[in-house]
Amino acid sequence: RLRAWLPRIMPVRWSRYDPSYLEPEVKKELYQRPLEELTEEEREQMELKAVRPIKAAPPTLSSSVFSDPMISKFTNMMMKSGNKVLARSLMSQTLENIKRKQLEKYHKAPENEKETIECNPYVIFHQALKNCQPIIGLSNVTRGGKTYQVPVPLTDNRKRFLAMKWLITECRENKHRRTMMPEKLSQELLLAFNNEGPVIKRKHVLHKMAEANRAYAHFRWW
Amino acid sequence: QLDRGCALHTAHRDGLSSVSSQDVPERPRAVFHTSESDPAKHTEQHEGRLYNIPLEEVNAVFPHGLPHRFQQQIQTFNEARVMVRKPALELLAYLKGSNFTHPAVRYVIYGERGTGKTMTLCHVVHYCSRQGWLVLHIPDAHLWVKNCKELLQSSYNKDRLDQPLQASVWLKNFKTSNERLLQEIKTQKKYMWGKRESTEEGRPLREVVEQGLARVRSASDAVGVVLKELKQQSHRGSFRLLVAVDSVNALWGRTTLRKEDKSPVSPEELTLVHNLRKMLKNDWSGGAIVTTLSQTGSLFKPSSAYTPQELLGREGFDALDPFVPIPVPNYSAREFESCYGYYLERKWLQHEKAHTEDGKAELQFLSGSNPRQLDRLAGPL
Repeated sequence: RLRAWLPRIMPVRWSRYDPSYLEPEVKKELYQRPLEELTEEEREQMELKAVRPIKAAPPTLSSSVFSDPMISKFTNMMMKSGNKVLARSLMSQTLENIKRKQLEKYHKAPENEKETIECNPYVIFHQALKNCQPIIGLSNVTRGGKTYQVPVPLTDNRKRFLAMKWLITECRENKHRRTMMPEKLSQELLLAFNNEGPVIKRKHVLHKMAEANRAYAHFRWW
Repeated sequence: QLDRGCALHTAHRDGLSSVSSQDVPERPRAVFHTSESDPAKHTEQHEGRLYNIPLEEVNAVFPHGLPHRFQQQIQTFNEARVMVRKPALELLAYLKGSNFTHPAVRYVIYGERGTGKTMTLCHVVHYCSRQGWLVLHIPDAHLWVKNCKELLQSSYNKDRLDQPLQASVWLKNFKTSNERLLQEIKTQKKYMWGKRESTEEGRPLREVVEQGLARVRSASDAVGVVLKELKQQSHRGSFRLLVAVDSVNALWGRTTLRKEDKSPVSPEELTLVHNLRKMLKNDWSGGAIVTTLSQTGSLFKPSSAYTPQELLGREGFDALDPFVPIPVPNYSAREFESCYGYYLERKWLQHEKAHTEDGKAELQFLSGSNPRQLDRLAGPL
């Protein structure tokens, strides 16, 4: 039976490659160094690259100086049904919104306060994410028929994921239906930057629950 | 803030002279600014530089007509800076040297998407309003041929259709931009608005405009009257008339409007379009007609079309022929430098890498020196 829908982009990079395939190198600086600077292993690597085949570059890998892995992760989490174009445009509109709001505040503020106002949307984004990351998480452990919420340490990846997930769900669900996503997101990010807002509250609630369930901490065996 | 103000006001002619009277760290900032805020005095020396329009003047001269992104930029930076570019200087030179006893010359500004056609038009409109001309600025003719909620049958001519909302919005903005001249120009005929209301002969045109605003049903007819009066009186020489129409290709294309029996409406059947077409004919003297083509809002035209031949179609080209075509290219290297420097100075480019040479080269490559692409790219950075 013929498929009625064909994807516009066919993926080229598979996860199963022959072990002889090498990873692509995107950073320009590494190619601009003269031969004398390189150590023995690096010279061997360069010679290998001339001979061995190279894997296809993933779509998220970019040689642009403006690319940021955190921002791309966030964009991917915001994406729905593979519409990366829309997700990326929403992200850029969010960053622009943050910048505009902060610049307006900056120009209206008196001279002594101007240095305290942060106008860089990337700095605000990173700081807001850092403020939203929980330190400790809860996981379900079943002992004797009952399931307990056991406080458990989280890996860095898990913390980053939770922070981004909370921000996105907060914007999608608890806001007025007619507000645009960039508007909602920029508001949430600015609140999180100042350690206010519903996402920070959710993080504190999680911390309190973990503190309350301290007694079950020894149920953890990993 | 204070230093920049002093630096720009002391050097009143030329950015170069401001360089000599300043300290070393200020030099890269002032080169792409110019303190000459009167478009009449702009010459090739000012090419690639940005001049400031005071905010009160912006509200008075441009109640409508500036692109949306530019209005947002004015609000964020708290100032309106327009770049002086070659096509605008060319147009201004033609306007300064034109003979107003001859029929009005038509200028058509064309170019690819996002190269600055509307901004060139706004530059010319600013010049004319500074010189005291009466400016008939239609911000976007596409708004008159699509997305119209109310279409009334015209009382003046049974075949035509009125658009009260668009006409009243335009009349309101027209009034704000030309207060003084509307008071002085008098009507030459008596006009009847329905059975009881009428405007006598010799009343100022301002009353016609107010009549159109008060009685929204007859707003399109008021617009028609205003255009007819201005056309008849411009050859006397008491005032100069500038007809500035953005996206003029809308007047000769197709519309997306439908009548109540679902039959498509052609542009001639709309009063506003019909009267505007009469205005764009070169059978009057004492002014100029400056128009812009635009593919962005156009209906039923491919996105790669940008030349007058493609966008106007045969009908439009024959109606506007002969005209002076003015192409608007992308930014030259110098203009790109000055735009980039302006964004840096106003702290619009916040990303650390955007301040480096690599970042600048990347911006130039990605945008292809296209003004709109550069603006869109620099937004999130």
